[in-house]
Amino acid sequence: MTRDDGGTAALTTVLVLPLLLSVLVGVLELGALRAVVYRAGAAADLATIVAVGDQDQAELARTGILRLAPDAAETARDYFARNLASTAPALAVSVEEIAASADVATFASVPSIDARTGARYDRPTVRLIASLPVRTPGFAVLFMPAVTTITIHSASSPR
Amino acid sequence: MRNRTTALAMAIVLSLGTSASAREPSENESRPFPPPVAPGPDPVAFVVPAGLYFVTDTYVADVVTTTDATTTYSTTTVHESTGTFARVIDSVDTGASSVFDGRAFNGRGALRDGRALAGTYYQNFVLTADGYVAVGIVFFQDDSETQRRAAASSLPSATPARSTTPPPAVATAAPPYVATPAPSFKPVRPIASATPTVRAGIALAADGPVLASAEVLRGRLVRFWPRAFANEVAVPIRSWRLVSAQPDYVSAASGGAEPLVAQWIQMPALGVRWSLRFEIVPEAAPNERLEAQISITLRSPALID
Repeated sequence: MTRDDGGTAALTTVLVLPLLLSVLVGVLELGALRAVVYRAGAAADLATIVAVGDQDQAELARTGILRLAPDAAETARDYFARNLASTAPALAVSVEEIAASADVATFASVPSIDARTGARYDRPTVRLIASLPVRTPGFAVLFMPAVTTITIHSASSPR
Repeated sequence: MRNRTTALAMAIVLSLGTSASAREPSENESRPFPPPVAPGPDPVAFVVPAGLYFVTDTYVADVVTTTDATTTYSTTTVHESTGTFARVIDSVDTGASSVFDGRAFNGRGALRDGRALAGTYYQNFVLTADGYVAVGIVFFQDDSETQRRAAASSLPSATPARSTTPPPAVATAAPPYVATPAPSFKPVRPIASATPTVRAGIALAADGPVLASAEVLRGRLVRFWPRAFANEVAVPIRSWRLVSAQPDYVSAASGGAEPLVAQWIQMPALGVRWSLRFEIVPEAAPNERLEAQISITLRSPALID
């Protein structure tokens, strides 16, 4: 390698290294964001499943048919907040705020059409849609938003 | 050559044969059904007082509530079965006397004008080996009265009377309180005879309606209450026995006043429904073996999409 080649390599490194570091940071942040999406989705899924399991026992004894408990929506919201607790450090707001602002709908009478999603439910269903502001400091380094909002959706029914 | 080959093959097959590991269906079961208990001797038949029914609402207290000008006299009950029986022995209107006045343990109240309250006298019984024994009388008050406002106070102020004769009195003849007839009495379906028509069924609550089918969540402990009815009136059951079932857990194969607790863990094939079949012996007809069945649809919370 000549002296000119060495200079060219150094110059190339100086120019390319920031680009490589940017790509690396972006990939890492994107991976972290994906992980939060999966964990939040699992939290919502478990919350709706728990809410569906919370049945109206008096109605069941009267008719023999599974019916959602009157407080199924509150149950879903409560368990969503509990399940999100482990993800709280990655979130820009508290899990209680996220759970409180979540759109939780119960469809006790069937068949029902979800006005928001257009989905048809043939069994009593609990549906949860929530928006989560996630901290993305890696994106901020890349001059992108420091908080990225993701939306998760979950619906469960006894089948 | 062919015969030798055949004989050799048979010899090899026979030498490799082992005894079959057949399993007796009744062996190695985690919860074998105990053999049915032989029923004991039936008691001597005794007379069932006419009109007797099984108590499902127990007296708690007399209640007097006042709303605006109306005062209501009612009775609060608690929905529970204490194992006692009762029958209506007298229904009285407002002010009417009864031969049972003074015999009820909770007494019989009166309106503000002194007249006795309307209501119903019930006589309670307990079932003993000697039959139904009367244990007391309770009065369920069911009456109301409306206070009439003084008409004079509601009249607009009038100009001074020109004549010296006083105006006619208004509403002075009527009592200040007017008793209204008792709104309603609890329907009572009496047992017509000592050999009532009995039927049995399964409910999901001690006093719940009989159900032909029920949905059950997977993994839940569900209580199934065998119930019996004599002339459509609930009567206690002497015993029940589980004839057939497919749950993964059952609390017992037979019992008395307690329910069967069952749990299903494994989901059935799509569209398959299970059933529980009981044999029930009611107190009202101890010689009868009633069959009752409930169909079970097992469901499990699951995600959609």
